[in-house]
Amino acid sequence: MKLKFLFSILLLSCCIQLQAQDLWNLVDSVQRQEKEFTNATFKTTRLVNQHTLETVGRRTLDLRISHRFGSLNSGSINAWGIDGPVNIRLALEYSPDGRFMFGIGRTSMEKMVDGFLKFRLLRQATNGGSPLSITLFTSAYRIALKDNNASRLGYDKYKPESNRWSYAYEIMIGRKFSPAFSFQVAPWFVHYNLVEKITDKNDAYGLACVTRLKFTKRMAITFEYAYRINEYSKTKYYDSMGIGWEIETGGHVFQVHFVNSLGLVENQFLTHTDTKWNNAGIRLGFNVSRVFTL
Amino acid sequence: MKKIFLFLTFIISASLNAGAQIYMAKEADISFFSASLIENIEAHNTACKPVMNTATQEILFKVPITSFKFSSALMQEHFNENYMESDKFSFSSFAGKIQEKIDFTKDGQYEATATGMLLMHGVSKQVTATGTVTVKGSQITIKSVFKIRLADFDIKVPSLYIHNIAEEVEIRVDATLIPFVKS
Repeated sequence: MKLKFLFSILLLSCCIQLQAQDLWNLVDSVQRQEKEFTNATFKTTRLVNQHTLETVGRRTLDLRISHRFGSLNSGSINAWGIDGPVNIRLALEYSPDGRFMFGIGRTSMEKMVDGFLKFRLLRQATNGGSPLSITLFTSAYRIALKDNNASRLGYDKYKPESNRWSYAYEIMIGRKFSPAFSFQVAPWFVHYNLVEKITDKNDAYGLACVTRLKFTKRMAITFEYAYRINEYSKTKYYDSMGIGWEIETGGHVFQVHFVNSLGLVENQFLTHTDTKWNNAGIRLGFNVSRVFTL
Repeated sequence: MKKIFLFLTFIISASLNAGAQIYMAKEADISFFSASLIENIEAHNTACKPVMNTATQEILFKVPITSFKFSSALMQEHFNENYMESDKFSFSSFAGKIQEKIDFTKDGQYEATATGMLLMHGVSKQVTATGTVTVKGSQITIKSVFKIRLADFDIKVPSLYIHNIAEEVEIRVDATLIPFVKS
């Protein structure tokens, strides 16, 4: 009798138990795991110099200030580069939908104005989505310098106007492997309408990589390297390489780094980096990003 | 006697099963609101489909964290990355029971209290939420507003943002349920 009674209780409780479990199963079966885009593969749209595959969020305006000091090996007389020559870029960048973005910037070196377009073609996602992100990037640059030799030589090298222009294209392919680790490779191509020397080529191309390693929720170590493939000039140039530290504090992202290039935009640092890491031809630099939701 | 008892047990178990009226959300909006001097933070989640068993008055919410939508993309990123750590804790859930006996066959609005376990940010804690249950025909509407303390769920706010994020966050639930038909 007692046994039967216990058995009945067991059966009854099982029955109730089953129902509670049923609710969970039911929710899991109906509430399909929706495809979610992976967010924050990189913290901002730049790492050191290079673009990351990120665009700013929907209806977000990004005010960016990038600054590079002179090279460390310029010695104590030059305060190890703090005195300059410096390069500053101020930029306003905006995305209406979080996928397509554009921006304009002004760089002090070569009095350069740039405008770029960026589009996240493919976005990494969970639950059967794409394992990779692909972002397309194109940019145009205009040099506003005056030709100092114009009167002496009898012609202005910046005439016609098209001689002032150059262009860059990149396809960025990357993945957030884990919350801490992201990696991206990007084939790049730069075209100059006008080159300095007769032996220089108008086109240069190569492969760039950027990576980020987060060590706390808000801090990361960053590394980027731009490899140049073709010989576009007889002048000795070097690959641009940067190592940085990134911290975000709410609406701001600060990036402090050492990098061997003085240039801040693609047609400067990818191809025309003329100092190298070996003999401390590196410099201190920082980027500040402040976003505003409009 | 034995037989009668067994029979009775079977009848009860069977009826429990048969009478198990499962209701599922037609639409649901789970939102939270944090009010502070500097800014108000609000996010909505419509990806959650709560279910209820009217026989046992059990109710279950399973809320995917990444489906919370904010007005600012940056807030959403911080919410996922820094506070909720959604890559580690992908969902929150509330599994509870409505304490008052409610007659779901009769139209009307009932004051109700639900007690159960709220799982959030990997921490499980018993909570009690008050609200209303409205029965209208075959439709049940559940509304509730309750507060939770972030510290109870091990969600740390850096001292820099203490003035931006409230210690107590208001959770709002608004769900309309209809009988669940297996398809």
